[in-house]
Amino acid sequence: MNATISFDSVLHVVLALVGVAVFVGLNGLLLVYAERKVAGFIQRRPGPYEVGPQGILQAVADALKLIGKQLVRPDRADPLLFWMAPVLAFFPVLLLFLPLPFSPLLTGWDVNLGLLLILAFAGFNVLALLLAGWGSNNKYGLLGAARAVAQSVAYEIPLLLAVLAIAFQEGTLSLSSIVATQGSMPWQWNIAVQPLAFLIFLISALGETNRAPFDLPEAESELTAGFHTEYSGMGFGMFFLAEYANMIVACSVCTVLFLGGWKGPFLDGAWWFLAKVYALLLAMMWFRWTFPRVRFDQLLNLNWRWLLPLGVLNLLATAFVMKL
Amino acid sequence: MVFDILHLAIILFLIAGLAFAGGPLILAMLVAPRARGGDLGMSYECGMRPHGNAWSRFGINYYVYALLFIAFDVDVLYLFPAAAHYHLTVGWSAFVEICLFLFFLVLALIYFRAKGVFTWPRKIAL
Repeated sequence: MNATISFDSVLHVVLALVGVAVFVGLNGLLLVYAERKVAGFIQRRPGPYEVGPQGILQAVADALKLIGKQLVRPDRADPLLFWMAPVLAFFPVLLLFLPLPFSPLLTGWDVNLGLLLILAFAGFNVLALLLAGWGSNNKYGLLGAARAVAQSVAYEIPLLLAVLAIAFQEGTLSLSSIVATQGSMPWQWNIAVQPLAFLIFLISALGETNRAPFDLPEAESELTAGFHTEYSGMGFGMFFLAEYANMIVACSVCTVLFLGGWKGPFLDGAWWFLAKVYALLLAMMWFRWTFPRVRFDQLLNLNWRWLLPLGVLNLLATAFVMKL
Repeated sequence: MVFDILHLAIILFLIAGLAFAGGPLILAMLVAPRARGGDLGMSYECGMRPHGNAWSRFGINYYVYALLFIAFDVDVLYLFPAAAHYHLTVGWSAFVEICLFLFFLVLALIYFRAKGVFTWPRKIAL
Protein backbone atom coordinates (compact mmCIF):
# COMPACT_ATOMS: atom_id res chain seq x y z
CA MET A 1 0.00 0.00 0.00
CA ASN A 2 1.60 3.30 -0.96
CA ALA A 3 1.67 6.22 1.40
CA THR A 4 0.28 8.92 -0.81
CA ILE A 5 -3.28 10.15 -0.51
CA SER A 6 -5.42 8.31 -3.03
CA PHE A 7 -9.07 7.40 -3.12
CA ASP A 8 -8.31 3.80 -2.10
CA SER A 9 -6.18 4.72 0.87
CA VAL A 10 -8.65 7.30 2.14
CA LEU A 11 -11.46 4.78 1.79
CA HIS A 12 -9.36 2.26 3.73
CA VAL A 13 -8.78 4.76 6.55
CA VAL A 14 -12.43 5.80 6.72
CA LEU A 15 -13.58 2.16 6.81
CA ALA A 16 -11.06 1.48 9.56
CA LEU A 17 -12.35 4.49 11.46
CA VAL A 18 -15.96 3.33 11.26
CA GLY A 19 -14.95 -0.20 12.24
CA VAL A 20 -12.95 1.00 15.23
CA ALA A 21 -15.72 3.32 16.42
CA VAL A 22 -18.28 0.49 16.26
CA PHE A 23 -15.85 -1.90 17.94
CA VAL A 24 -15.16 0.52 20.81
CA GLY A 25 -18.84 1.33 21.32
CA LEU A 26 -19.99 -2.29 21.32
CA ASN A 27 -17.13 -3.36 23.52
CA GLY A 28 -18.01 -0.68 26.05
CA LEU A 29 -21.44 -2.27 26.42
CA LEU A 30 -20.08 -5.82 26.33
CA LEU A 31 -17.36 -5.23 28.90
CA VAL A 32 -19.66 -3.46 31.36
CA TYR A 33 -21.96 -6.46 31.22
CA ALA A 34 -19.08 -8.94 31.38
CA GLU A 35 -17.48 -7.19 34.33
CA ARG A 36 -20.69 -7.19 36.33
CA LYS A 37 -21.40 -10.82 35.50
CA VAL A 38 -17.85 -11.82 36.43
CA ALA A 39 -18.13 -9.84 39.65
CA GLY A 40 -21.43 -11.56 40.39
CA PHE A 41 -20.00 -14.98 39.67
CA ILE A 42 -16.97 -14.42 41.89
CA GLN A 43 -19.07 -13.00 44.71
CA ARG A 44 -21.68 -15.78 44.40
CA ARG A 45 -24.60 -13.64 43.28
CA PRO A 46 -26.37 -13.55 39.91
CA GLY A 47 -25.21 -10.10 38.79
CA PRO A 48 -27.44 -8.19 36.34
CA TYR A 49 -30.55 -10.30 35.85
CA GLU A 50 -33.63 -8.22 35.11
CA VAL A 51 -33.16 -6.37 31.80
CA GLY A 52 -33.45 -8.89 28.98
CA PRO A 53 -32.61 -12.60 29.25
CA GLN A 54 -29.83 -13.04 31.81
CA GLY A 55 -29.68 -9.25 32.07
CA ILE A 56 -27.99 -9.02 28.71
CA LEU A 57 -29.47 -5.61 27.93
CA GLN A 58 -28.40 -4.13 31.25
CA ALA A 59 -25.51 -2.20 29.72
CA VAL A 60 -27.83 -0.63 27.11
CA ALA A 61 -30.20 0.44 29.87
CA ASP A 62 -27.25 1.89 31.80
CA ALA A 63 -26.08 3.86 28.77
CA LEU A 64 -29.56 5.30 28.24
CA LYS A 65 -29.79 6.18 31.91
CA LEU A 66 -26.45 7.98 31.78
CA ILE A 67 -27.58 10.05 28.80
CA GLY A 68 -30.80 10.96 30.61
CA LYS A 69 -28.98 12.31 33.64
CA GLN A 70 -28.27 15.94 34.23
CA LEU A 71 -24.69 17.09 33.79
CA VAL A 72 -23.94 18.96 36.98
CA ARG A 73 -20.94 21.20 37.36
CA PRO A 74 -20.07 22.43 40.84
CA ASP A 75 -20.31 26.22 41.10
CA ARG A 76 -16.72 26.59 42.11
CA ALA A 77 -15.26 24.31 39.46
CA ASP A 78 -13.36 25.65 36.48
CA PRO A 79 -15.88 25.34 33.61
CA LEU A 80 -13.36 24.93 30.81
CA LEU A 81 -11.11 22.38 32.50
CA PHE A 82 -14.06 20.55 34.03
CA TRP A 83 -15.70 19.87 30.66
CA MET A 84 -12.46 19.40 28.80
CA ALA A 85 -11.40 16.46 30.96
CA PRO A 86 -13.98 13.81 29.92
CA VAL A 87 -13.61 14.79 26.26
CA LEU A 88 -9.84 14.66 26.50
CA ALA A 89 -10.01 11.25 28.18
CA PHE A 90 -11.70 9.83 25.11
CA PHE A 91 -10.00 12.06 22.51
CA PRO A 92 -7.01 9.79 21.63
CA VAL A 93 -8.73 6.45 22.25
CA LEU A 94 -9.83 5.73 18.67
CA LEU A 95 -6.38 6.60 17.34
CA LEU A 96 -4.83 3.94 19.59
CA PHE A 97 -6.61 1.30 17.50
CA LEU A 98 -5.21 2.59 14.21
CA PRO A 99 -1.97 0.55 14.12
CA LEU A 100 -3.37 -2.60 15.78
CA PRO A 101 -3.21 -5.65 13.49
CA PHE A 102 -6.38 -7.64 14.16
CA SER A 103 -5.41 -9.81 11.20
CA PRO A 104 -3.30 -9.19 8.07
CA LEU A 105 -6.42 -7.84 6.37
CA LEU A 106 -7.99 -6.14 9.37
CA THR A 107 -5.31 -3.56 10.11
CA GLY A 108 -6.26 0.09 10.35
CA TRP A 109 -2.95 1.23 8.94
CA ASP A 110 0.38 -0.55 9.23
CA VAL A 111 2.45 2.23 10.81
CA ASN A 112 6.18 1.52 11.00
CA LEU A 113 6.31 3.34 14.35
CA GLY A 114 3.02 1.84 15.55
CA LEU A 115 4.31 0.97 18.99
CA LEU A 116 5.56 4.49 19.58
CA LEU A 117 2.31 5.96 18.26
CA ILE A 118 0.28 4.00 20.80
CA LEU A 119 2.59 4.79 23.69
CA ALA A 120 2.69 8.49 22.83
CA PHE A 121 -1.05 9.01 22.53
CA ALA A 122 -1.87 6.79 25.51
CA GLY A 123 -0.11 9.43 27.60
CA PHE A 124 -3.06 11.81 27.07
CA ASN A 125 -5.04 9.84 29.61
CA VAL A 126 -2.92 11.11 32.51
CA LEU A 127 -3.57 14.69 31.45
CA ALA A 128 -7.33 14.05 31.37
CA LEU A 129 -7.32 12.60 34.88
CA LEU A 130 -5.25 15.51 36.15
CA LEU A 131 -7.59 18.08 34.60
CA ALA A 132 -10.63 16.26 35.96
CA GLY A 133 -9.29 16.26 39.50
CA TRP A 134 -7.97 19.80 39.41
CA GLY A 135 -10.82 21.36 37.45
CA SER A 136 -13.59 20.04 39.69
CA ASN A 137 -12.23 21.94 42.72
CA ASN A 138 -12.95 19.07 45.06
CA LYS A 139 -10.54 17.79 47.67
CA TYR A 140 -11.15 14.14 46.88
CA GLY A 141 -10.79 14.93 43.21
CA LEU A 142 -7.50 16.70 43.76
CA LEU A 143 -6.04 13.88 45.84
CA GLY A 144 -7.26 11.35 43.29
CA ALA A 145 -5.66 13.31 40.48
CA ALA A 146 -2.34 13.58 42.34
CA ARG A 147 -2.41 9.82 42.82
CA ALA A 148 -3.41 9.16 39.24
CA VAL A 149 -0.46 11.16 37.93
CA ALA A 150 2.07 9.65 40.33
CA GLN A 151 0.83 6.16 39.48
CA SER A 152 0.49 6.51 35.73
CA VAL A 153 3.87 8.08 35.22
CA ALA A 154 5.49 5.50 37.50
CA TYR A 155 4.03 2.48 35.71
CA GLU A 156 4.76 3.87 32.29
CA ILE A 157 8.49 3.22 32.70
CA PRO A 158 8.49 -0.54 33.37
CA LEU A 159 5.89 -0.75 30.59
CA LEU A 160 8.32 0.96 28.22
CA LEU A 161 11.18 -1.25 29.38
CA ALA A 162 9.14 -4.40 28.76
CA VAL A 163 8.15 -3.13 25.32
CA LEU A 164 11.75 -2.20 24.59
CA ALA A 165 12.93 -5.73 25.34
CA ILE A 166 10.68 -6.96 22.52
CA ALA A 167 11.70 -4.07 20.26
CA PHE A 168 15.38 -4.92 20.77
CA GLN A 169 14.72 -8.54 20.02
CA GLU A 170 12.66 -7.91 16.89
CA GLY A 171 14.49 -4.83 15.66
CA THR A 172 11.23 -3.16 14.60
CA LEU A 173 8.53 -0.94 16.08
CA SER A 174 5.85 -2.01 13.62
CA LEU A 175 3.17 -4.16 15.23
CA SER A 176 2.53 -6.17 12.06
CA SER A 177 6.21 -7.07 11.73
CA ILE A 178 6.36 -8.13 15.38
CA VAL A 179 3.46 -10.53 14.78
CA ALA A 180 5.04 -11.73 11.56
CA THR A 181 8.22 -12.88 13.35
CA GLN A 182 6.27 -15.09 15.75
CA GLY A 183 5.01 -18.55 14.89
CA SER A 184 1.59 -20.14 15.22
CA MET A 185 2.37 -22.46 18.10
CA PRO A 186 2.38 -21.13 21.68
CA TRP A 187 6.07 -21.99 22.16
CA GLN A 188 6.91 -19.86 19.14
CA TRP A 189 5.35 -16.78 20.71
CA ASN A 190 7.46 -14.13 22.38
CA ILE A 191 6.12 -15.06 25.80
CA ALA A 192 8.27 -18.19 25.61
CA VAL A 193 11.48 -16.19 25.32
CA GLN A 194 10.42 -13.12 27.31
CA PRO A 195 8.29 -14.38 30.22
CA LEU A 196 9.63 -11.74 32.61
CA ALA A 197 8.86 -8.92 30.19
CA PHE A 198 5.33 -10.33 29.80
CA LEU A 199 4.81 -10.30 33.55
CA ILE A 200 6.17 -6.77 33.89
CA PHE A 201 4.00 -5.62 31.00
CA LEU A 202 0.85 -7.15 32.48
CA ILE A 203 1.39 -5.63 35.94
CA SER A 204 2.28 -2.24 34.48
CA ALA A 205 -0.75 -2.34 32.20
CA LEU A 206 -2.96 -2.85 35.26
CA GLY A 207 -1.28 0.13 36.91
CA GLU A 208 -1.47 2.23 33.79
CA THR A 209 -5.19 1.62 33.23
CA ASN A 210 -5.97 2.22 36.93
CA ARG A 211 -7.42 -1.23 37.38
CA ALA A 212 -7.72 -2.94 40.74
CA PRO A 213 -5.61 -3.86 42.68
CA PHE A 214 -4.05 -0.58 41.54
CA ASP A 215 -7.21 1.55 41.34
CA LEU A 216 -5.96 4.02 43.93
CA PRO A 217 -7.03 7.16 41.99
CA GLU A 218 -10.67 6.18 42.47
CA ALA A 219 -10.40 4.24 45.71
CA GLU A 220 -13.99 4.57 46.85
CA SER A 221 -13.36 3.65 50.47
CA GLU A 222 -10.99 6.56 51.01
CA LEU A 223 -11.56 9.09 48.22
CA THR A 224 -15.29 8.66 47.44
CA ALA A 225 -14.67 8.37 43.68
CA GLY A 226 -11.30 10.05 43.33
CA PHE A 227 -10.80 12.21 40.29
CA HIS A 228 -14.36 11.77 38.97
CA THR A 229 -16.16 12.52 42.25
CA GLU A 230 -17.94 15.56 40.80
CA TYR A 231 -18.88 14.03 37.46
CA SER A 232 -22.45 12.93 36.88
CA GLY A 233 -24.17 11.17 34.02
CA MET A 234 -22.28 11.07 30.76
CA GLY A 235 -19.27 12.95 32.14
CA PHE A 236 -18.59 9.92 34.28
CA GLY A 237 -19.63 7.67 31.41
CA MET A 238 -16.88 9.05 29.19
CA PHE A 239 -14.16 8.29 31.76
CA PHE A 240 -15.61 4.82 32.09
CA LEU A 241 -15.72 4.19 28.36
CA ALA A 242 -12.18 5.51 27.95
CA GLU A 243 -10.98 3.22 30.72
CA TYR A 244 -12.49 0.17 29.06
CA ALA A 245 -11.14 1.17 25.67
CA ASN A 246 -7.70 1.64 27.18
CA MET A 247 -7.95 -1.81 28.69
CA ILE A 248 -8.67 -3.26 25.27
CA VAL A 249 -5.70 -1.42 23.80
CA ALA A 250 -3.39 -2.60 26.58
CA CYS A 251 -4.54 -6.21 26.13
CA SER A 252 -4.24 -5.94 22.34
CA VAL A 253 -0.69 -4.63 22.55
CA CYS A 254 0.12 -7.40 25.00
CA THR A 255 -1.33 -9.93 22.56
CA VAL A 256 0.69 -8.52 19.68
CA LEU A 257 3.96 -8.33 21.58
CA PHE A 258 3.88 -11.53 23.57
CA LEU A 259 1.08 -13.84 22.48
CA GLY A 260 1.59 -14.01 18.74
CA GLY A 261 -1.17 -11.59 17.70
CA TRP A 262 -3.52 -13.15 15.16
CA LYS A 263 -1.46 -16.33 14.91
CA GLY A 264 -2.56 -19.49 16.61
CA PRO A 265 -2.71 -23.25 16.22
CA PHE A 266 -4.77 -24.72 13.34
CA LEU A 267 -5.96 -21.57 11.64
CA ASP A 268 -4.48 -18.06 11.84
CA GLY A 269 -6.87 -15.15 11.84
CA ALA A 270 -8.65 -12.41 13.68
CA TRP A 271 -10.49 -14.90 15.91
CA TRP A 272 -7.22 -15.84 17.60
CA PHE A 273 -6.45 -12.18 18.19
CA LEU A 274 -9.88 -11.55 19.71
CA ALA A 275 -9.79 -14.76 21.75
CA LYS A 276 -6.47 -13.77 23.30
CA VAL A 277 -7.57 -10.18 23.95
CA TYR A 278 -10.76 -11.30 25.67
CA ALA A 279 -8.88 -13.90 27.70
CA LEU A 280 -6.57 -11.14 28.97
CA LEU A 281 -9.54 -8.85 29.66
CA LEU A 282 -11.26 -11.59 31.65
CA ALA A 283 -8.03 -12.11 33.59
CA MET A 284 -7.97 -8.39 34.39
CA MET A 285 -11.54 -8.58 35.70
CA TRP A 286 -10.68 -11.69 37.64
CA PHE A 287 -7.77 -9.81 39.29
CA ARG A 288 -10.05 -6.94 40.15
CA TRP A 289 -12.51 -9.06 42.08
CA THR A 290 -9.87 -11.28 43.67
CA PHE A 291 -7.09 -9.04 44.96
CA PRO A 292 -7.57 -6.38 47.63
CA ARG A 293 -6.44 -2.87 46.83
CA VAL A 294 -2.82 -2.11 47.71
CA ARG A 295 -1.68 0.86 49.78
CA PHE A 296 -0.28 3.79 47.86
CA ASP A 297 3.31 3.52 49.08
CA GLN A 298 3.22 -0.21 48.32
CA LEU A 299 2.04 0.62 44.83
CA LEU A 300 4.83 3.09 44.16
CA ASN A 301 7.53 1.01 45.80
CA LEU A 302 6.54 -2.14 43.96
CA ASN A 303 7.16 -0.19 40.82
CA TRP A 304 10.37 1.65 41.66
CA ARG A 305 11.99 -1.07 43.73
CA TRP A 306 11.06 -4.18 41.78
CA LEU A 307 9.53 -3.70 38.38
CA LEU A 308 11.94 -1.03 37.21
CA PRO A 309 15.24 -2.74 38.18
CA LEU A 310 13.89 -6.03 36.86
CA GLY A 311 12.88 -4.32 33.63
CA VAL A 312 16.35 -2.84 33.19
CA LEU A 313 18.00 -6.19 33.91
CA ASN A 314 15.68 -7.93 31.48
CA LEU A 315 16.53 -5.38 28.81
CA LEU A 316 20.25 -5.85 29.41
CA ALA A 317 19.89 -9.62 29.33
CA THR A 318 18.01 -9.36 26.02
CA ALA A 319 20.74 -7.17 24.53
CA PHE A 320 23.39 -9.56 25.85
CA VAL A 321 21.78 -12.72 24.52
CA MET A 322 21.30 -11.11 21.12
CA LYS A 323 25.04 -10.57 20.87
CA LEU A 324 25.92 -14.17 21.71
CA MET B 1 7.70 16.89 5.48
CA VAL B 2 5.13 15.51 3.09
CA PHE B 3 1.56 15.36 4.28
CA ASP B 4 0.73 11.74 3.61
CA ILE B 5 -2.09 9.36 4.38
CA LEU B 6 -0.82 8.59 7.89
CA HIS B 7 -1.13 12.21 8.97
CA LEU B 8 -4.59 12.37 7.45
CA ALA B 9 -5.52 9.16 9.29
CA ILE B 10 -4.27 10.51 12.62
CA ILE B 11 -6.20 13.75 12.21
CA LEU B 12 -9.37 11.91 11.14
CA PHE B 13 -9.17 9.51 14.08
CA LEU B 14 -8.62 12.37 16.54
CA ILE B 15 -11.57 14.32 15.16
CA ALA B 16 -13.71 11.19 15.38
CA GLY B 17 -12.55 10.76 18.97
CA LEU B 18 -13.73 14.27 19.76
CA ALA B 19 -17.10 13.62 18.13
CA PHE B 20 -17.46 10.28 19.87
CA ALA B 21 -16.82 11.95 23.24
CA GLY B 22 -18.71 15.17 22.60
CA GLY B 23 -21.81 13.58 21.01
CA PRO B 24 -23.20 11.84 24.08
CA LEU B 25 -22.37 14.87 26.23
CA ILE B 26 -24.30 17.19 23.92
CA LEU B 27 -27.16 14.69 23.69
CA ALA B 28 -27.29 14.49 27.47
CA MET B 29 -27.35 18.27 27.64
CA LEU B 30 -30.38 18.30 25.31
CA VAL B 31 -32.50 15.55 26.88
CA ALA B 32 -31.52 15.65 30.55
CA PRO B 33 -33.55 17.56 33.13
CA ARG B 34 -32.25 20.94 34.19
CA ALA B 35 -32.66 21.27 37.91
CA ARG B 36 -30.97 24.19 39.57
CA GLY B 37 -30.94 26.13 42.80
CA GLY B 38 -30.46 24.91 46.33
CA ASP B 39 -27.18 23.20 47.06
CA LEU B 40 -26.97 21.49 43.67
CA GLY B 41 -23.79 23.32 42.75
CA MET B 42 -22.06 22.68 46.04
CA SER B 43 -18.85 20.65 45.96
CA TYR B 44 -19.26 17.14 47.28
CA GLU B 45 -17.67 16.53 50.63
CA CYS B 46 -19.60 13.59 52.09
CA GLY B 47 -22.72 15.67 52.67
CA MET B 48 -21.11 18.38 54.77
CA ARG B 49 -20.61 21.97 53.67
CA PRO B 50 -17.16 22.10 52.04
CA HIS B 51 -14.51 23.42 54.34
CA GLY B 52 -12.55 25.99 52.40
CA ASN B 53 -11.38 25.66 48.83
CA ALA B 54 -9.69 22.67 47.26
CA TRP B 55 -7.35 24.97 45.38
CA SER B 56 -5.10 25.55 48.32
CA ARG B 57 -1.73 24.34 49.56
CA PHE B 58 -1.54 20.61 50.03
CA GLY B 59 1.36 18.22 50.53
CA ILE B 60 2.12 16.87 47.09
CA ASN B 61 4.57 14.31 48.36
CA TYR B 62 4.79 12.47 45.07
CA TYR B 63 6.74 15.18 43.29
CA VAL B 64 10.08 13.44 43.82
CA TYR B 65 8.67 10.51 41.87
CA ALA B 66 7.81 12.95 39.13
CA LEU B 67 11.44 14.11 38.96
CA LEU B 68 12.54 10.51 38.74
CA PHE B 69 9.97 9.89 36.03
CA ILE B 70 11.25 12.74 33.88
CA ALA B 71 14.80 11.45 34.23
CA PHE B 72 13.70 8.02 33.10
CA ASP B 73 11.05 8.72 30.54
CA VAL B 74 13.04 11.15 28.44
CA ASP B 75 16.04 8.85 28.46
CA VAL B 76 14.10 5.70 27.71
CA LEU B 77 12.79 7.43 24.62
CA TYR B 78 16.34 7.43 23.24
CA LEU B 79 16.34 3.66 23.46
CA PHE B 80 13.61 3.28 20.83
CA PRO B 81 15.80 4.26 17.85
CA ALA B 82 18.55 2.18 19.42
CA ALA B 83 16.15 -0.77 19.62
CA ALA B 84 15.20 -0.51 15.96
CA HIS B 85 18.84 -0.69 14.86
CA TYR B 86 20.39 -2.91 17.50
CA HIS B 87 20.04 -6.13 15.50
CA LEU B 88 22.05 -4.55 12.66
CA THR B 89 25.07 -3.73 14.80
CA VAL B 90 28.25 -5.81 14.61
CA GLY B 91 30.45 -6.65 17.58
CA TRP B 92 30.08 -5.83 21.25
CA SER B 93 30.48 -2.06 21.16
CA ALA B 94 26.72 -1.47 20.84
CA PHE B 95 26.08 -3.65 23.88
CA VAL B 96 28.68 -1.73 25.90
CA GLU B 97 27.04 1.55 24.90
CA ILE B 98 23.62 0.32 26.00
CA CYS B 99 25.16 -0.83 29.28
CA LEU B 100 26.71 2.58 29.89
CA PHE B 101 23.44 4.34 29.07
CA LEU B 102 21.40 2.14 31.40
CA PHE B 103 24.07 2.41 34.12
CA PHE B 104 23.61 6.16 34.36
CA LEU B 105 19.85 5.71 34.37
CA VAL B 106 19.97 3.26 37.23
CA LEU B 107 22.36 5.57 39.06
CA ALA B 108 19.44 7.99 39.54
CA LEU B 109 17.42 5.17 41.05
CA ILE B 110 20.24 4.26 43.45
CA TYR B 111 20.68 7.89 44.43
CA PHE B 112 17.00 8.33 45.25
CA ARG B 113 16.96 5.09 47.16
CA ALA B 114 19.97 6.12 49.25
CA LYS B 115 18.30 9.48 49.88
CA GLY B 116 15.32 7.67 51.38
CA VAL B 117 12.64 8.57 48.83
CA PHE B 118 11.28 5.01 48.79
CA THR B 119 11.01 4.78 52.59
CA TRP B 120 7.56 5.48 53.98
CA PRO B 121 6.61 7.30 56.08
CA ARG B 122 9.01 9.98 55.01
CA LYS B 123 12.13 10.30 57.14
CA ILE B 124 13.65 13.10 55.10
CA ALA B 125 12.69 16.73 54.76
CA LEU B 126 11.79 17.31 51.15
